[in-house]
Amino acid sequence: MGDEKVDRNNGSSRRPLDRVESVRMIHRSLRNTFSSTAGATDGDDSTAAVRLADVTHEYGSSGRRFRSSGERSVTALRGVSFEVRAGDVVGLSGPSGSGKSTILHAVAGLLVPTDGTVELLGTDVTALSDRERARLRRRHVGIVFQRFHLLPSLSARANVALPLVQAGIPRSRRRERATTLLEQVGLGDRVTHLPGELSGGECQRVAIARALATDPDVIVADEPTGELDTATGADVLEVLTDVGRDRAVLVASHDAATLAVADRVVSLRDGAVVDDER
Amino acid sequence: MSVRGAVARVSAVVGLALAQLRRSPGRTVLTTLAVALAVLSVTLLASLGVGVVEMGEEGLDRANRDIWITNDPIDPSSSGTENPIVGAHEISADLTARDDVRTASPIAMHDVYVGTDPSELERVPAVGVQQTHDAFDFEAGHGFEPEGDPYPREPTDEPTREEIVIDPRLADDLGVSVGETIYVGTSRETARYEFTVVGTSSYYSTYLGSPAVTVPLADLQAVAGTSGTDRATFITADVAEGADRDAVRDDLAAEYSQYDVRTSDDQLESMFRERTLVLASGVTLVGLAVVGGVVLTINLFALVAYQQRDELAALRAVGLSRRVLAGTIGVQGLLIGLVGGVVGVAATPPIAAALNRFATSVVGFERLLQTPLEVYVAGFALALCVGTVVAVVTGWRASRYASIEHLEA
Repeated sequence: MGDEKVDRNNGSSRRPLDRVESVRMIHRSLRNTFSSTAGATDGDDSTAAVRLADVTHEYGSSGRRFRSSGERSVTALRGVSFEVRAGDVVGLSGPSGSGKSTILHAVAGLLVPTDGTVELLGTDVTALSDRERARLRRRHVGIVFQRFHLLPSLSARANVALPLVQAGIPRSRRRERATTLLEQVGLGDRVTHLPGELSGGECQRVAIARALATDPDVIVADEPTGELDTATGADVLEVLTDVGRDRAVLVASHDAATLAVADRVVSLRDGAVVDDER
Repeated sequence: MSVRGAVARVSAVVGLALAQLRRSPGRTVLTTLAVALAVLSVTLLASLGVGVVEMGEEGLDRANRDIWITNDPIDPSSSGTENPIVGAHEISADLTARDDVRTASPIAMHDVYVGTDPSELERVPAVGVQQTHDAFDFEAGHGFEPEGDPYPREPTDEPTREEIVIDPRLADDLGVSVGETIYVGTSRETARYEFTVVGTSSYYSTYLGSPAVTVPLADLQAVAGTSGTDRATFITADVAEGADRDAVRDDLAAEYSQYDVRTSDDQLESMFRERTLVLASGVTLVGLAVVGGVVLTINLFALVAYQQRDELAALRAVGLSRRVLAGTIGVQGLLIGLVGGVVGVAATPPIAAALNRFATSVVGFERLLQTPLEVYVAGFALALCVGTVVAVVTGWRASRYASIEHLEA
């Protein structure tokens, strides 16, 4: 757990020093909270932040006890292998149904692939229990959704602070952290606004701030500009890549302008990698 | 997680629930009212029940009689005013002659017409007793005493004492006072008997629910034309000192098998049994109010959970536990239950007081609704139950939505 990461969000010269210091303290606290994660070897630069090895996934092929043997299953991923290092922005491209979202869900530990391994900071996610995966995800993965998914009755600040509730962070520190993050995404004057009072682009920036609340090492974004016009989408991408510096960022999209911000694009078709453009 | 962390998490869940309630004032007010109404229906009906039971017990206590002999009237709706007991004086004399009975006396009831002018009469209930007693608490004048031995008697066609105790309100209506004369009869045509007002008291009015008059039993029988058969509604008896009430009741029941013989406790029970349908209706109404309140509240908050299913699933994905997410919805239901309970309990005293005023002005019963501490405890306990049920059900619904499967790609 390096200090390098503690400083990651504090690059802006606009913030006063005391805030920088308090954010450092919050980060340190979060680090301490997270350090018990089983087997996570984050901070080891020689290790890829995310590594998929020969990952295959079939929907409808596992789990359900009463599933009839003749039921059809759909192969979403076929032998997918690639890795993402900290600081990389990797785009996932491909038509609908090509497996982009399935890869994001597998990386976030939201699903366990039928075959292959998914390593997150050196930990094999597929070997963990549901609870362990949830804990790993909570501590190391930030998720940005296409449709923002903000609670409409909570202010922007309260929405951003939500992930910190689970960590048992006191209210004053949650608020401070959320305000800092909203300032980072350019919404310092919108902290008490409700989602209904914000534009689509502002909502997505709130969602990005929420994804950063627990200072994750990996950010997965599923069509983050899908609901936005081109100019707003560009702004949001700028924010995402800016705050994503030093983190591993995976962006799934079939929009060329979105994928243009990626350092590298992995192209998928029918669940298989057809191109890994470096 | 440390205790401080857990406390921070719980307070955050409550804070989130409060924030959501604050942002939806219409829904919050509606559900609070639903729970408050359910609580009110329970507290008010319980107050009425307590009041009625206490009034019945008080009445029987004030009558201070151990044994009641009566008979189910042919027409139950007449509630005993058919005077089903025949030969009341003789039975009373026989009872008084027993070693295990100290004294026995008959009571008859009839509707009569009274007035200062035979052409302007009011119909009121009349109670025929052998003598008045201290509990009459006369506002003016006095009662009447038995003359000599009250039991051996010859039937008379005409009233002999011609004394009457009337309700003070009736006295005001008629414009009469003690010492003046009014006409009494069982029909407008036969209201020719002149009775002297000897006192004013509301003693029997309290039980009968309207201004009543009290006259000597033999006079009432004469006016009603039941002297020949010597009819009465009840015969009440006091057991001798040292005698067992239940044993005396059993003896009398065997001897007078054509009548119902009850102790005062049995009598109170039988009064309620006669009103089973009314009680059942009341309980059903309360049940419906409670179920209605619970269903409305659960539905509204389950709907909130459904509307936010995508958000709940997304928050689950970003790491919030199912318990925390269910808590934010469930705590809303619990808070509504508690606030609704407090509102319902707080509204009980003024509404009960208003209903009491209404009951006093319409039927003459004072303090018909009584609100001991137990009534409030019952109301608040209901609110807690409603809140808990709503919290559990809506929390469970929310936790089902807070699932990765509900997350849209």
